[in-house]
Amino acid sequence: MSDWAPPTAATVPPPPDPNAPTPMVQVANVTKAFGDVVAVSDVSFGVGPGVTALLGPNGAGKSTLFRIMCGLTPPSQGTVRVLGADARADREVRGRIGLAPQQDALFDRLSAHRFVEIAALTHAVPDPAAAADRALEQVDLDPRADKPVGSYSKGMRQRVKLAAALVNDPDVLILDEPLTGLDPVQRNRMIRLFHDLGGAGKCLLVSSHVLDEVARIGSNVLVIAQGRLAATGDYRALRELMDDRPLRLRIATDRPRDLAAALLGGAYVDGVSVSADEVIADTTDIDRFGRHVAVVAKQLGARLYEVQPTDDDLESVFRYLVERRR
Amino acid sequence: MSTPTTTGTGARSVAPIAAIVLTYRLLLRQLVTRGRVLALLAVGLAVAAVAWAVGASDEVTDPLDASVGVIAGLGLTVLVPIVSLVFATAALGDAREDGTLVYLWLRPIDRWPVVVGAWLAALTVSLPLTLGPLALAALLSGQAGTVLGATMAASVVGAIAYSAVFLLVGLLVKNPIVWGLGYVLIWEGIISAFGSSAAQLAISGYTRSIVTAMTDVDVDLGDQSLGVAVVVPIVVAVVALVVAARRLDRMDVA
Repeated sequence: MSDWAPPTAATVPPPPDPNAPTPMVQVANVTKAFGDVVAVSDVSFGVGPGVTALLGPNGAGKSTLFRIMCGLTPPSQGTVRVLGADARADREVRGRIGLAPQQDALFDRLSAHRFVEIAALTHAVPDPAAAADRALEQVDLDPRADKPVGSYSKGMRQRVKLAAALVNDPDVLILDEPLTGLDPVQRNRMIRLFHDLGGAGKCLLVSSHVLDEVARIGSNVLVIAQGRLAATGDYRALRELMDDRPLRLRIATDRPRDLAAALLGGAYVDGVSVSADEVIADTTDIDRFGRHVAVVAKQLGARLYEVQPTDDDLESVFRYLVERRR
Repeated sequence: MSTPTTTGTGARSVAPIAAIVLTYRLLLRQLVTRGRVLALLAVGLAVAAVAWAVGASDEVTDPLDASVGVIAGLGLTVLVPIVSLVFATAALGDAREDGTLVYLWLRPIDRWPVVVGAWLAALTVSLPLTLGPLALAALLSGQAGTVLGATMAASVVGAIAYSAVFLLVGLLVKNPIVWGLGYVLIWEGIISAFGSSAAQLAISGYTRSIVTAMTDVDVDLGDQSLGVAVVVPIVVAVVALVVAARRLDRMDVA
């Protein structure tokens, strides 16, 4: 996954090279439908050791994909193999997976140590109390704290889930939005922990809907939008691709028709439309366009009240990637 | 507590007995809430109060018959199934609803020990809340010498069967309490209206039969022999637990 590429039939799933290492997680042509709603549509990829970020807006299908990988729900079509096995059917492989689910559900009456110790017990980890100590220390929680987790803050509960996912020293870690609710310091620490685990040969799949977060989580990125794998590749290439995409701006001014006429045919402008009090302009070079608008407005004597991108949200980025794929 | 076993690939798994104990201890703690215990204790004490009122009444011509009628009609047909319903549907149903089931499901553990552990946890809470008030009812009725043993035996057998069936219901449907109440009040009620042959399709038909066989008081719809009345509910419980384990294995987990 070193080069950025839309997932075409030619690149996904990876061609069967007998010398290539087997992916630790292999997803092949997976579709999942809930009634008439298709949550995941024909997704294929393979990931090996290291940290891979799964990026997508809320409702894109990330959690469903993770649930399928863990065997929590079967795919409607396609196959998933984790460490070569189907987690839904293979008891042993379930012991080699660590999952931090997105939902904020814990056994609220238990202390963090007891919760993580039970996770160790249910994984048959030798010396579960010591394993719970280690896991809690990994996520910067005090193993001696005896308060019930029901009284914990959102960030602390997230870290308890992470500790429970880590306690069996799993080969594959599936972490669904694990940084939600963490403060910046804790985010940095957890991201460092993810990289340490990835560097140690673990396979980490970490989901997020925050682009900047993904930049720090991992260089390998899977982008999922509308249930489809919109793209896979290196984060830097993704960023460049997004920076190159056409951008639409709303320009609020007291002389929209004059400004639109002046902009039309000028540099850095792909298209212009005008309404009663604003101009909508398309550009692929937002920095130069911004400077150009200021110069043109000054020449016209027009007032600029606002210059604002209309589609600078992550949703529009995903839409662009999905449309680009078609 | 957990006994790790290692397979040829080096992966660990939890031995069945250890998994039962682990599930039992975890879910028992989740099941016992003050609200549930107090509400169901109140229902049980209400049954005991009715038994006392019947025993103390001068208008009752046959106190033994009347006492057995209260214990069978309210205790075995209402209290035992309702208490079992609340705790058995919650045993795995609560975990399924609140999203914590994943912490038992995505583990190197077979499904059946999880189901058995949950069932034992439900029974552990249900039995004191049914046996206690019904023992009190037998004592207050003034007929304890005749009805106490039969009441205890019928309650235990009923709780075993109801808990297993309602544990399964908790894994099958979204509002298990509603479905369970429907079963207790409508199904068993309708079945009763069709006489003792149809009562073979209701668990209460067997618990009533245990009371009839052990007290020599002819309880309505309690026509089975003692052996059948004990064995059939236990068979029902085993079948329900087997189906529940299969359901747990195949269900979608949030």
